[in-house]
Amino acid sequence: MARSITTLVLAALSVGLTFGGADAADKVRVVTTIPDLKSLTEAVGGDLADVESLTRGTQNFHEAEVRPSMMLKLRKADLLIENGVELDSWVDVAVNGANNPNIVRGARGRIEISRGIPLLEVPSTRVDRSMGDVHPLGNPHFSLDPGLAPIITQNILDGLVRIAPQHRAAFEKNRAAFLAKVDEQMARWTKAMEPMRGAKVVAYHPSFIYFVTRFGLTQVGTVEDRPGIPPSPQHLVNLIHQMREDRVKAILVEPWNDIKLATRVAEEAGAKALVMASAVGAVKGADNYLAAIDYNVTALVNALR
Amino acid sequence: MRASGIVVVALLVVLIATPALAQDAGALRREIEQLRKQLEGLTERLQRLEAQPAPQPVAPPPVAQPAPPGTMQQRGPGGGTGLSAEELLRPRQPFALYQQRGSGQLLFDMGIAGDFVASVTQRNVAKANGGTFAGQENRFFPREVELELFGQIDPYARGEVRIEAGEEAPGAETSVHLAEATLTLLTLPYGTQVKMGQMRTRFGWSNQIHEHDLPWIDRPNVLRNFFGGEGVTEKGVEVTIVPDLPFYLEGLVGVFNGDNETAFGRGSLRDPLLTARLRTFFELTDTQAIQLGISGASGQTPGEFRSTFAGADARYKFRPESWLHPLVTLTAEAIYGIRKIEVLDETGTTGPEGRTRDRFGWYAGLEVQPWRRWAGGVRYDWSQFALMPGREWAVEPYITFWPSEFLRFRLAYKRTERDRSVDFAGNGGSARIADEVLFQGTFILGAHPAHPF
Repeated sequence: MARSITTLVLAALSVGLTFGGADAADKVRVVTTIPDLKSLTEAVGGDLADVESLTRGTQNFHEAEVRPSMMLKLRKADLLIENGVELDSWVDVAVNGANNPNIVRGARGRIEISRGIPLLEVPSTRVDRSMGDVHPLGNPHFSLDPGLAPIITQNILDGLVRIAPQHRAAFEKNRAAFLAKVDEQMARWTKAMEPMRGAKVVAYHPSFIYFVTRFGLTQVGTVEDRPGIPPSPQHLVNLIHQMREDRVKAILVEPWNDIKLATRVAEEAGAKALVMASAVGAVKGADNYLAAIDYNVTALVNALR
Repeated sequence: MRASGIVVVALLVVLIATPALAQDAGALRREIEQLRKQLEGLTERLQRLEAQPAPQPVAPPPVAQPAPPGTMQQRGPGGGTGLSAEELLRPRQPFALYQQRGSGQLLFDMGIAGDFVASVTQRNVAKANGGTFAGQENRFFPREVELELFGQIDPYARGEVRIEAGEEAPGAETSVHLAEATLTLLTLPYGTQVKMGQMRTRFGWSNQIHEHDLPWIDRPNVLRNFFGGEGVTEKGVEVTIVPDLPFYLEGLVGVFNGDNETAFGRGSLRDPLLTARLRTFFELTDTQAIQLGISGASGQTPGEFRSTFAGADARYKFRPESWLHPLVTLTAEAIYGIRKIEVLDETGTTGPEGRTRDRFGWYAGLEVQPWRRWAGGVRYDWSQFALMPGREWAVEPYITFWPSEFLRFRLAYKRTERDRSVDFAGNGGSARIADEVLFQGTFILGAHPAHPF
């Protein structure tokens, strides 16, 4: 009898250990706040990471609505990757509703991707909301600047290794392979954009400042009067006048912004309104990180040619 | 002889010179007097100047340079912040403090929400205090000015404090009180969290929402009738669990003092107010989602009679692809209450059992937001009264305008009809039928936490 019980206990323990081993071998469950980071994390994590994004590329990340479905994704996450610089600070509300101690602020499973990023448009004077929805820490739309891919992927790598150190070599190999692709594409993009160097553009919202700066373009204004504030008629009149003077050929607009208004302003100024991939998945054909940048480069080359 | 000549010459010189000397001495005295006065004046001026603080050299204001992420701002000797007295005295707005969070100056978020409302109604409704804001009819007043402080306490817990001020009676001194103060333990096992302190309990959908965040100017009638104008704000503990399921389900139980005077009022943990809630959520498509919840609350009245409520709520949103805001939002909530009330027996004393009284109420609201800055909607209310017999219904169409994310104006018309006037007549007025025009102006200064679905 005693032997039977011992056998049963040992069998139960074996089953438990087997299942425990299976859990440990599972993929790292990663949730990112925006799809750009999802695409980059998939590139670094490869088959060893299961990645979901809380938002879609067609959304305005500033004003994402916190839904319980976000909490469901976060409930099971080993790692939460957020953009930072107050682009996605709404994620705190979702984390608080997810009851997952692995990803609360300060936990091992929480990383902010803006660490080490040389931010642009950092206010050098005191800011307040009379300037609109200005970001006191700097412009947060850096994720689609291919020149920053090495820093962003390094931060992702650090986060993945923290959760699954046994896969460090695989993650590093994936990252190196991805950055090699970025380098290869970068040479092509730079060559394509070279004739446009110095060209002046206008953006609807300051979402593309990292991108245009990377390729030597100059952003001379925004359709928004101030970030997040709808433009006044006087502002639009001044902007059209300025665009004509500066011979601006394109207004860069996000798919979620007022494309009709951008088109009207562009027509008045003799320019084109370009719907850009403001994020991965924002437009058709921009299904991953490299494709999104490729889409933007092609759109700009065609418009500014 | 020769000596006599010298003496004579000397005398002549003296005689001739004496008037001249006398004249020089006078001039000299005047000059000395003038110099003395000048000296006194200069001495006095010097003393005055010495009494004043030394002037500071005027330097251009330093240009604020943001610290690199993750670094701490350099501090002055002695661990001070390095700010001059002038900088410390300069008035600051929450946003300015908020801005400095990145450099380690402030480790939590803060903001102020201001909510001002106005009500215009018939004179007889005002006399009977039968308007939506009872006692504040035909007035413009600060309903709720709220200071919000929130953030991580440490790696394990989060804190939230809301201090509120508002005018509670016409012309009364604005009172300040603690609206909420909670501590939430975030790192508990098995998908659980514990929230403790003073809080708006999560009974139903709208009770947990502060006045300035509601999608309407006023709290729905059923909540005001059953739980009072402020809703259910209690002191105690809530435990939530989000089990690891393929769909979202949140379970909640709460234990509170039961201080709410309208619905409970026992105010003792020996006979606590117990609450429970289940909430689930389904994304029907990429553009449509619905949240469903059921809630329960049971406590005791001061007379030790049981008071129990059950509620159900639903909220649906349709947000077309790429839209920044929902096009259609539907909200509905129903509450059923059953409680025993004191009744006087034939001798005029309170009976031992009391009488059971069940009550029901509900509301449904539709909001359409075709443009980013404009929305319009309507809410219909139907509710019985908590203790007295009778019922009321109301309809409230409204429009909302947001000049920016942080500023909102709302205008509404509300018609309320009650089936009896006896309880809504006072001071020679009557509020059986009330027509009201309501206005709301709301601003947010500084940080404000995002709101869930």
